[in-house]
Amino acid sequence: MRSEARPDRPRAIACAIDHEIGREIGRMMGRVFGNFGQILLVDLDGDRVRAERQPLPESVYRECIGGVGLGAWLLLRFAPAGVDPLAPAAPILYVFSPLLGTPLTTTAKFALVCKSPLTGRICDGLSSSRFALAAKRLGVDAVVIRGALGQLSTLHLDEDPQRCRVAPCPELAGLSAAAVSDMFQRTGVASHVSAIGPAGEALVRYATVSNDGRHAGRGGAGAVLGAKKIKAITVRGEAVAGVADPAAVRARARDLAARSQGVSTDKYRRLGTASNLETFDRLRILPSRNFQAAAIGAARAKRLAPAGLASAGEHTRAGCAGCTIGCDHRYGGQRLEYETQFALGPLCGVDDPARLLAAARACDELGLDTISAGGSLAFAMECCERGLLDWPLRFGDDLVPWLARIARRDGPGDLLAEGTRRAAELIGGGSAAFACHVKGLELPGYEPRAMQTLALGLCVASRGADHNRSGAYQADLRPGVDRYHADPARAPALVIETEDHATLLDSLILCKFLRGAVPEPWREGAELLRMVTGLPFDEASLRRAVATIAGLRHAFNLREGWTLAEDQLPGRFHDEPVRDADAAVDAPPIDRASLAAQVLAYHRARGRGPDGEATDPS
Amino acid sequence: MVTVELYGLPRLRAGAERCELAPGRLRELLAALAAALPGLVPDILRDGGLSEHALLAVDGRDLLTDPEAQIPDGAVLVLISAQAGG
Repeated sequence: MRSEARPDRPRAIACAIDHEIGREIGRMMGRVFGNFGQILLVDLDGDRVRAERQPLPESVYRECIGGVGLGAWLLLRFAPAGVDPLAPAAPILYVFSPLLGTPLTTTAKFALVCKSPLTGRICDGLSSSRFALAAKRLGVDAVVIRGALGQLSTLHLDEDPQRCRVAPCPELAGLSAAAVSDMFQRTGVASHVSAIGPAGEALVRYATVSNDGRHAGRGGAGAVLGAKKIKAITVRGEAVAGVADPAAVRARARDLAARSQGVSTDKYRRLGTASNLETFDRLRILPSRNFQAAAIGAARAKRLAPAGLASAGEHTRAGCAGCTIGCDHRYGGQRLEYETQFALGPLCGVDDPARLLAAARACDELGLDTISAGGSLAFAMECCERGLLDWPLRFGDDLVPWLARIARRDGPGDLLAEGTRRAAELIGGGSAAFACHVKGLELPGYEPRAMQTLALGLCVASRGADHNRSGAYQADLRPGVDRYHADPARAPALVIETEDHATLLDSLILCKFLRGAVPEPWREGAELLRMVTGLPFDEASLRRAVATIAGLRHAFNLREGWTLAEDQLPGRFHDEPVRDADAAVDAPPIDRASLAAQVLAYHRARGRGPDGEATDPS
Repeated sequence: MVTVELYGLPRLRAGAERCELAPGRLRELLAALAAALPGLVPDILRDGGLSEHALLAVDGRDLLTDPEAQIPDGAVLVLISAQAGG
């Protein structure tokens, strides 16, 4: 049995009426439509909260758009140089976008931005659904939270800054984000909640922040909220940003919704990203056993593919608020995306679908990033295999008890809660060579030795080894690209192209799963911004804005201590060949000198100096 | 014979996991594939070639584009969705 998601028609109509009203208010106030021209600055201290609005200049919207772009601009200004990501002075930012709140499909998203406690570099995650819509009605374009509370509390944000308040909630300690959300909904406290689980409370460096069953996963924003003793955030507001041309927005919303039902999104709608696993196994790009092999074999891949998962739990389908794609595939009620499937499956040697689903459920309940959790456990499994650790942990083991230890920093879990980079530093014995991270962020589910344009993308991505900020895997799977030997003359440009495309979508914000239905993203992105904001965006100004955002991210990292030495893969990828499911050599390792030269060429192409030093992005 | 393995969207459209075809040029193989698995037309196979939504790789490695490429007896071709993201 499958349940099908349906477009949210009544909400779209109500939204259109709201935008007519918002447009009139916006016109009277002379501001940019789609935005409010201000942020909410929230300072926490002990049991007190002080909130005030601060205006933003119009130029910021032209130069940084919104979402991750606006987030990078704000983080550079509000994070003190060199701040400890878990110190009270370190800010965490909820950043909205011009398209959020419009009837345009897949736009119900916000960016969550901070200095990552895992990497010490910029962290800009995205999360979806109704909390995003509710939060924008605070009447601001971002919420900047600084300081810390004295005890675990709920932070209530209100359209009226004087009504922002905190309420101690020691009784919620140890609960999952979903349980807090359910409790708040049942008791009428709030309909939509952004919350952390036990891992965030325990300052696990890859703890997530969750809302509506979705997660801002990578980089440990959950630990930043945990350090501030914020268990949950609720919001109340009625503000509407309005759009410059409501009729055009409505027409484009219908058009985009229709396109979102086409063949370019069929994979996401009909199959889900979990269908990648069998394909990637066949292409021998599926990392397994801590990147010791790039395939698990057809029989095992079938067990973890959607049909195998469905045998372990009923398959159902859902979608985010305001989304007409509906990519959310669940098995026995558990949402499963490819990255989770790879990280808690083949990467850890797990090939039992029930065991995989149980681990995914545990990560969601505990508030752990599935990629970093799987990566850290796979690293520890290999350490045990090599005799560097004497823990009773082997590839293929049940992950659930270990995930619980990580989330509570219990025993060995305390070390794994630090992530692979720090764990390798403490374990020693040459383990850094197979601690699979870049800048401290664990690698996603693509074998870089067999996708060498992606290898460069992983090295240079601003938040570390990351498939969402660098979509260079797409470049490797293009006709005419030799994915086993990156062309040094082409690879930097291909990486920049895919990075910039991702930045554009993450700043507007539009879901990346819509990208196949938007074949001319720069032209259409400019059109969307013109009809929503009224600002005279065109393709050229949009490309300049995206280049500015790349510069802002790099400037932040540079200020926080980045050097070229960070832009590299661990030794395994340069010293060991790719092996298939039978341990036979399938492809050679990555040439170290060639990749280093490509990294330099990438920074040069970004307009940076010989050591990667930034030009002034302001 | 040439074996074509189908994954992702091509498998969904075709309702089949594999297909055996006579060796020949790529364009001839694709025509035979369209005849054998008509569900692949038009989203995966279109106008005698691959659509923008699909990729074809020899044994899962090198992507094929040249319609005149000779596909030898015993070759295994892997037909996948072009959208790789996850």
